[in-house]
Amino acid sequence: MRNIRIFLRVLRETTIGLKRSGWSNWLVISILAVALTIFGGVLQTTMAIKGVVSSWGSQLEISAYLKDGFDPQKVARNVSQLPDVQLVEIVPKEVAWAEMQTNYKVAALNNPLPNTLHIKLANVQAVEKTADKLKTFSSIEHIRFPLKVARNLNKVRQFLEIAGFVITGALSAATLVVIGNTIHLVIQSRQREIEILSLTGVSPWYIKGPLILQGASYGMGAALIASAFLFGLHAYMDPYIHEQLLSFLPMNSTGLDAGLLPTLVVVLTLGVAVGAGGSAWTSGRFIKI
Amino acid sequence: MKAILEIRGIALIRLQNIHKEYNGKPALIDVNLHIGLGEFAFLVGPSGAGKSTLMRLLYREESPTRGTVTIGGVNITRLSRSQVPLLRRRLGIVFQDFKLLPRQTVFDNVAYVLRALGVDEIDVRRRVSSALAIVSLEDKDNEFPENLSGGEQQRVGIARAIVNGPPVLLADEPTGNLDPQTSLEIVQLLDRISQRGTTVLISTHDQPIVDAMRKRVISLKNGQVISDVNSGIYEMEALR
Ligand SMILES: Nc1ncnc2c1ncn2[C@@H]1O[C@H](COP(=O)(O)OP(=O)(O)OP(=O)(O)O)[C@@H](O)[C@H]1O
Ligand SMILES: [Mg+2]
Repeated sequence: MRNIRIFLRVLRETTIGLKRSGWSNWLVISILAVALTIFGGVLQTTMAIKGVVSSWGSQLEISAYLKDGFDPQKVARNVSQLPDVQLVEIVPKEVAWAEMQTNYKVAALNNPLPNTLHIKLANVQAVEKTADKLKTFSSIEHIRFPLKVARNLNKVRQFLEIAGFVITGALSAATLVVIGNTIHLVIQSRQREIEILSLTGVSPWYIKGPLILQGASYGMGAALIASAFLFGLHAYMDPYIHEQLLSFLPMNSTGLDAGLLPTLVVVLTLGVAVGAGGSAWTSGRFIKI
Repeated sequence: MKAILEIRGIALIRLQNIHKEYNGKPALIDVNLHIGLGEFAFLVGPSGAGKSTLMRLLYREESPTRGTVTIGGVNITRLSRSQVPLLRRRLGIVFQDFKLLPRQTVFDNVAYVLRALGVDEIDVRRRVSSALAIVSLEDKDNEFPENLSGGEQQRVGIARAIVNGPPVLLADEPTGNLDPQTSLEIVQLLDRISQRGTTVLISTHDQPIVDAMRKRVISLKNGQVISDVNSGIYEMEALR
């Protein structure tokens, strides 16, 4: 009971503190919201790429595009003799072209597409070995396999992750400074009050608690705004990515649907942690009892 | 910390071989003092004698350079930072500049510590009312400090100091900002409080009041105790 009453008192002091801070509340919240939105965007993108990479990386398939004038049936038979090859599927260029024309309303040109073989393999280790062997076939113009694309995407993801960390680090530092300054101003305006409370035996936590909660509410408010942004962005971007971008890639891309929820949870946690941490740190520095 | 309340019969406040230096400059030199339970004492001396320094040692705003301070048998020089608030809750402290919260009413000022300790509101009401009755401010509980006279503000300060029933009340120049008549009333109020069993230590350089009260007078000069007499007067000659 006693602790509940103390907690309610601390909450009350927090709302009083927030009211007194006036417009500077919104300054802090908007800066923090921008930082969290960027952080959340980077996080969401890297997670999505990660999903794609892992789904592609496990697709044990090589696409071989044949030179004109070679019989796909014959090449397919030769390819199936290779170790680790489980299944060879032939996609004649006429079929591929017809499909493309219905899908994209392409003008009636001469068929530019090659005959294609989809080669399914037994295991991941075999992908690159087989790819090397296929490259020696004179009948094969060009090969493509998801593992390689996945590797390249992985590099993009690593870059994004590092860039994301750097940006988040810089923004967090900036945010900490802004929160620190705001709380410092509150402490300065309450200097005498804090001194009185300390002299009359009010515990440091009762004095610092409202300041820390004030910082935490900045983090919470900013995280909610950032979440709304991210949600909107996600809803707007997702169909676009699916229809426009991925349909041009040669492999199926089910891994893309990284949910937004984990990102929002991380954004909320980070926001509250930065808010509370920033003000705890400032109160520790400026309230010596 | 309970010991502060429980130990009886020995000196409630004991300073032993206290030295206090600020940047190598002595402010208190080998101070030894015993103040018993329920006693009322003045701490007098000219400006810079070390009165405030001694007071600050008692409520642990400062620590001595050497020596020990015990209150109720507890060595307060050894308290950890988290224990200091516990000590201060057992001391009533009255200040020269009152130190009231300007944005809170008289009632809320007195109630603040109790509420911060989670005392339930019915109890808060009862204890604050009785503290305000002791200082005769029952009818001013809804005023803000700025609407009160200096003497009334100091009475609020005293009500706040006694609301938690402390065994010790420390007052550093409580009358420093008040006119002579009001000063005398405040000191007489503190005397009445000490007669209820509270140990009271008042620092002052207000000679007429010290002389009028005929209480124990501890004289400090240049950081040293130069006299300590019961039923004494302000020894201007000695202190000059
Ligand atoms: N925080 C401090 N830093 C440095 N020196 C200090 C500090 N506080 C007090 N002193 C010095 O210690 C000595 C005693 O000061 P103190 O304030 O205790 O005197 P006092 O008896 O209370 O005087 P007054 O009657 O003017 O209040 C003085 O020489 C003062 O300059
Ligand atoms: Mg002084």
